[in-house]
This record gives sequence, C-alpha cells and structure tokens, in this order.
Amino acid sequence: MASSLRSWIDIRSEGKWKSSRAALVLPLAPPPTIAVVDIDEFAGKLSYSMSTRHCNRLCLNQKLAILWMFLSGAIVSSSEVETSRPSDSRNSDDGKYILRSYFDRYENLDDSSFENFMAHELSPSLCQVTPENRDHGVRLSVRELSLVGEGSHRQLSSSIRLQTGAESIPELPPHKCEVIIIQRLPLGVFADPFELQNLHKRIGFRDVAVFGDTNLELPSFRSNRSAAEVHIDAGSDILFTQNSGMEINMLLPLHARYQPLDESGYSIIEIGEPDILTRCSMEGKQHKQSCLFMSPNDSGKSRTRTVEWKIPAGMKAHAGFVSVVTFITASLSTISIVYASMFWSGTKVPST
Amino acid sequence: MNSLKPGSIFLISAILRVGLILYGEWQDEHMEVRYTDVDYLVFSDAASLMASGQSPYKRTTYRYSPLLAFLLIPNSFIAASWGKFLFSASDLFVGLFIRIILKQRKVPDHLCTYSMLIWLFNPFTFTIGTRGNCEPIVCATILWIIICLINGNVVQAACWYGLIVHFRIYPIIYALPIILFLDPRFFQSGVKPLLCDWTSDQGKIRQINSQVTDQFDVWIAFKNIFTRSRILFGLVSGSVFLLCTGFFFRLYGWEFLHEALLYHLTRTDPRHNFSIYFYHIYLNYERDLSVLEKLISFLPQFIVQLVLVFCFAKDLVFCFFVQTVAFVAFNKVITAQYFVWFFCLLPLILPWTNMKFKWQGVCCILLWMGAQTHWLLWGYLLEFKGKNVFLQLWMASLLFLAANTFILILLIRHHNYAPVFRQHTGVKTTQKKHE
Repeated sequence: MASSLRSWIDIRSEGKWKSSRAALVLPLAPPPTIAVVDIDEFAGKLSYSMSTRHCNRLCLNQKLAILWMFLSGAIVSSSEVETSRPSDSRNSDDGKYILRSYFDRYENLDDSSFENFMAHELSPSLCQVTPENRDHGVRLSVRELSLVGEGSHRQLSSSIRLQTGAESIPELPPHKCEVIIIQRLPLGVFADPFELQNLHKRIGFRDVAVFGDTNLELPSFRSNRSAAEVHIDAGSDILFTQNSGMEINMLLPLHARYQPLDESGYSIIEIGEPDILTRCSMEGKQHKQSCLFMSPNDSGKSRTRTVEWKIPAGMKAHAGFVSVVTFITASLSTISIVYASMFWSGTKVPST
Repeated sequence: MNSLKPGSIFLISAILRVGLILYGEWQDEHMEVRYTDVDYLVFSDAASLMASGQSPYKRTTYRYSPLLAFLLIPNSFIAASWGKFLFSASDLFVGLFIRIILKQRKVPDHLCTYSMLIWLFNPFTFTIGTRGNCEPIVCATILWIIICLINGNVVQAACWYGLIVHFRIYPIIYALPIILFLDPRFFQSGVKPLLCDWTSDQGKIRQINSQVTDQFDVWIAFKNIFTRSRILFGLVSGSVFLLCTGFFFRLYGWEFLHEALLYHLTRTDPRHNFSIYFYHIYLNYERDLSVLEKLISFLPQFIVQLVLVFCFAKDLVFCFFVQTVAFVAFNKVITAQYFVWFFCLLPLILPWTNMKFKWQGVCCILLWMGAQTHWLLWGYLLEFKGKNVFLQLWMASLLFLAANTFILILLIRHHNYAPVFRQHTGVKTTQKKHE
C-alpha cells in the first residue's frame, strides 16, 4: 500500500519540457466562465501560414487565427443542475468535469450511451484537426492496465502515454494542458470519493471526482455503476514541442462491493481501459478557452483490454443451513441466559 | 496501588489522551493508514456544513443527531481536533463518574481505584476517544443519569435520558429497568432515597425487605405502575425526546428522521461484522425477508432483555450492564465501537463480583479476546486476501456469541445481587447524606 500511494501518480517525460506536478487545487472555486467561440469570423485568416515567424503588427492576428483554427469551439460552462444522485456535493465545478455533463443528461452510467456521448456530444469541444495539421496536437494511448493488490481493496494501475505531434505549433499563445482520465467502473466495484479527496490533498494532482452511485454500503445488486474522473497536469506549452512524450502511471484505489450470490463462491468482474483525453486551455484576452484532444481510436471503439477481479460471493447452497443454525444458536443462547438469570438472580431469602 | 491518588490518575490519563491526539494528527499527516476514525471525518464534514447554514445530512453516511454536528462546529474555526478533545474529556468524565458512583455506595478506596484504572487505562477506551469516536459522550451521560437516579433527582435524570435517547437510540433499552427501579417504596417525595452500601461480606445477603423476593417486587411494581416518580420520569423524558426530535425535524425534515432515527431501527447490513446474523442477511438480501422472519430474528433479543430486566432491575447498574452486553451480542449488526457501551459499566459492577481475577477473570478476558481475534483472522482472509471464507467467518461469529453468552452467565452467577436502595425505616434521623 505504501509504495502504491507514493507512486500513485508517476509522471515521467521525455523531450524538452518537463512534467510538473500540479499544485494542490481543491475543486471548490468555480472555474472562470468560458464563452462560446465563433470561428467563422476567423475562417478567412486560414490563409496565414504557420510558417510566418516574424512577430510584427500582424503577429497577434496570426496567433489568434491559428488559435481559432486549432481550438475551435470551447466548452460552455454548464448551469447548476440539481441532481438527486449521491455523488460528491460540490456543484461549483461548472464545465470542468466531463462526467458531470454526461450525468446531467443521463441518469445512470451505461456503456453504449457513454460511448455515444463521447463520440457525438463532445465533438463541439474538440480541437479541430484538419488534414493539413493532422500531425499536430496530442495523442494518448493506454499502454498497460493491471490490478494491484489482494482482497476487496485494490488499485487499478494504468499506464498512459501522451505524445505530441510531429510538428510543433510555436505561434500559439501560452497554454496549459491537462490529461483527463475517465475510468468507468463495473457494477461490482466502487471508488470512495472521500478517500480520493484525501489522496488528492496528499499526493497532488489537479482534480478528482467520482460520479454515479457512490453509496459505499450497498451490495452490487442494489447499486448502480459509477465512474471516476481524474485530471492530471500535463505541463505548460506542450504544443510548442514536437514529438515529445510523457508517461503517466496512475493507481486508482478501488473497493469491491458485496456480490450477488454465486454457486462457485466467487464473482468475476471486468474493468476496462479508461477513456483518456487532453484538454489544453489558454488565456484569451477576456476569457479562457479550452478544447479537447481525443485520440481517433478512442471514440466509439469498444475496449479491448480488461482486467479481471475475482471477488468472494456468498453461496446460495448455504442459505437454508445458515439460517437454521443461526436461529438455533440464538435460541440456545437465549435459553441459557434466561435460565441463568432466573436461577441466580437475587431471589434468595435472607437468613436473618 | 493505594498510593495512587485519583488526582494523579486523572492527570496521567489526560496527558495520555492529549499525547495520543497529537500523535494521531501526526500519523494522519505522514502515514497512509490514518489514526483518525472515518466517522470523525464524517462528523467534521457535517459540522462544517452546519456551520455554513446547511443541513448536516448533505454529508453521506452522517447518521447521527444534529446535536453532534453542533458540538463539533468549533472544528471549523478553533481546531480540527476540537472534537477529539471533547470526546477525550468525556472519557475522563466517565472515570470521574465511576469514582463518584462507587464512593457514594461506600466502596473502599482501593476497589475504586482499580475500577477507575480499568476504564481510564483500557487500551480500547482511550483509543476510541482519541480517534474521534463519539461514544464517550454517550457513556458519560448514562453514568450521569445513574448518579441522578441514585441521588433521587428524577427530573434531571429524565431530561438527560430523553436527550441521550434522541442522540443514540440504544439507551431506550434502559427505560423499563428505570421505571421499575423508581419504586415508590424508595422514591418518596421530598425524601432522598437511602443507598445500600457495599460491604465486604461478599456472599451474604443484602438487607432488603425480607418479605418479598425480587419477582414478587416486580408483580407489585406492575400493580403500582402509575406512581408519581414513574409518571414524572416518563413524561419528562418523553417530552425532552419529542422536543429535540421535533425541533430537528422542523429544521431538517424527513432526511433527519430517516438518517438519524429510522436507519438505526431498520438497519440490516449484509457486510460482514461480529453479528451471527450477517451471513443470513447477506444470503437473503436479494429477496426481502418476510415479516415472520424478521420477527423471529428479533425474538431472542426481546426475550433476553425482558428476562434480564425483571430479574435485575433493582440492582440498576448490573441490570444496565447485562442488558447492554446481551443487546450488543444479539444485535443484527455489531461493530467494535459498541463494546464501549458496556465497558463503561463494567467498572461499576466489579466491586460486587465474586469472580476472582486469577484465574477466572483472566480466563474470561482471554476467552472474549480470543473469540474476537479468531473472528478477525477470518475477516482478514476474506477482506484482505480475497478468499471465500464466509462460512468460517460466520461460524467464528457463532463462537463469539457463545463466548459472550458464557461470560455473561459467569458474571451473573458470581454477582452479588445488590439492590441500590434500601427502605427508609420509621425513624427519620437515620437518613444519611451521601455527598
């Protein structure tokens, strides 16, 4: 457990820029509101080529053009929506969490509706990657997925590679990028939001939240699915560098719920790969704009890599026998205590 | 041992607790395994919600009275460990009350000291307060109620009783023995009841109205149920309970009622715990249990409580003790913190036991701890090694119940039944003042 917590977030990087551990940021303050960007106005500026390097009076316009070209669209801050689900109580994270947008639309976590959401409803927020600048931007892939530990409390270890494009984009304004990891959890396990908050304070990464059914006490057949969203700082100005890579190893603590009864005495659940995106945001004149990079093979394709977790489950065959013996034992205890009390209570007649 | 003054005992206990709280803060900061109980974080979160004007029930798994959150509001602006200091102070109060009760019954000094040490230096009790568990407050209140009753302060006892039942439901089991205890022969208006003193004549019979046996007392009690002190106690405690509950219901609505009261009454947790019922509940969780099945599982508890009350009500403290042990043992859910409920009463009954520490006492302690450890080993295999040992764990909980039953029976057998009060004689000058 000790080593797993120390290496909970392990970010290694190659290339010119170094990774930086995010400062402790508690998701309490609302993020700045983000305006919708109209790209049509700037479509005409596409003719300015990216090879222009002289910073002159037009430099600022060029930067803005490239900015709109690559970062078309922005995430609109979502309004406060009252939800009745028992997720974390912070409602002030407007637009920050992708899962919140998902759960605002859908009641429960479902694989097909989630993949649909990722493929279609996130597309306005994607950074536009045209055929000309296909080699720009950021690519993410999951290198490894495994389950660490034994018993009902384990950690899901995922190793993620972030790779910047073959060409750099030096004309962009300064920007900060973060990696967003969305881990969908099956019915049989849950992530404890309070534990994650506690780890967040100790280890240090940007944000974490759990959405869906976070009731810690219910067995799996009385609960719904949940998902964890983790934001990790990927560094500043990474789009300026080319062919640079960064590896992120994350250990997500998970807990098993009580499983439905099974004849074999065990229940096997499968956890799939996380969905990963990069969000880069930059300070505009008045607003902060951001957009998402999603690797092409992420959207719509079913997860191929899964890990299996074998969790003990009660055996139906025991039901009758256990109930009978339980009640017999309780009855025997009762009878003995009743007998002892009546025989040895203060009913003695004094000999005075 | 005789040279240990109560003052020094309290001082050392206080230093120990302060030290543990400070150590706990350090451990929380520097080690992965927290010293502080998870429940304490729940209370603190609920208290900070309350401090900002919101409902404490917005914090999931907060299942206590809003009073607790209210007591912990200073966590937000004085220190995060204010609550722990409060609970540890209650812990020390329990020690003080133990001494007061035993001194009032004229227990010799050395036995008083032993009893205090058993509570104040029991590793289980000092960790529970310093880890941030609220049970010491409940224990202190119960003991204060006992002090009020043995001093004849029925109204004050009733107020505290109503409050504590609102705070934590389980003291409702003490309602019947208290009512029986408020015997009109001892509780006469304007007159303080006379206490039976501890004597060194262990095994001899106490002086009690020799014409009646205890069961006969109970029969008379039934006939004379509506006496002044009983009605007063019932009305005052009931009103205090309804006032508190009504007030918080007004503030926090149905959420308060569900989380703080109804949850505890209907709680069936299929997750493994010391109770013998956990596996039965888990195996039957997918189908709802019928009313008959629920009744059958409640029956042993009900019968045992009734019989214990009718046999031991006059010896109020012993009655509380045996009731609490039985209540915990037969409950649908047993967690380690429940043991404090009878640990605080154990020092009060020990001066009246015939059981010798060597070797009967030692054997009982070893048996109880052994049964617990045995359960914990299977629990470890299940939870931390992922082996299916449900059946073995369930059998370990049966063994634990058997151990509890055996020790309870031994304590009953070796107890010198000592009614708390004796009757006033005709001559008023024999009334003693017990300060």
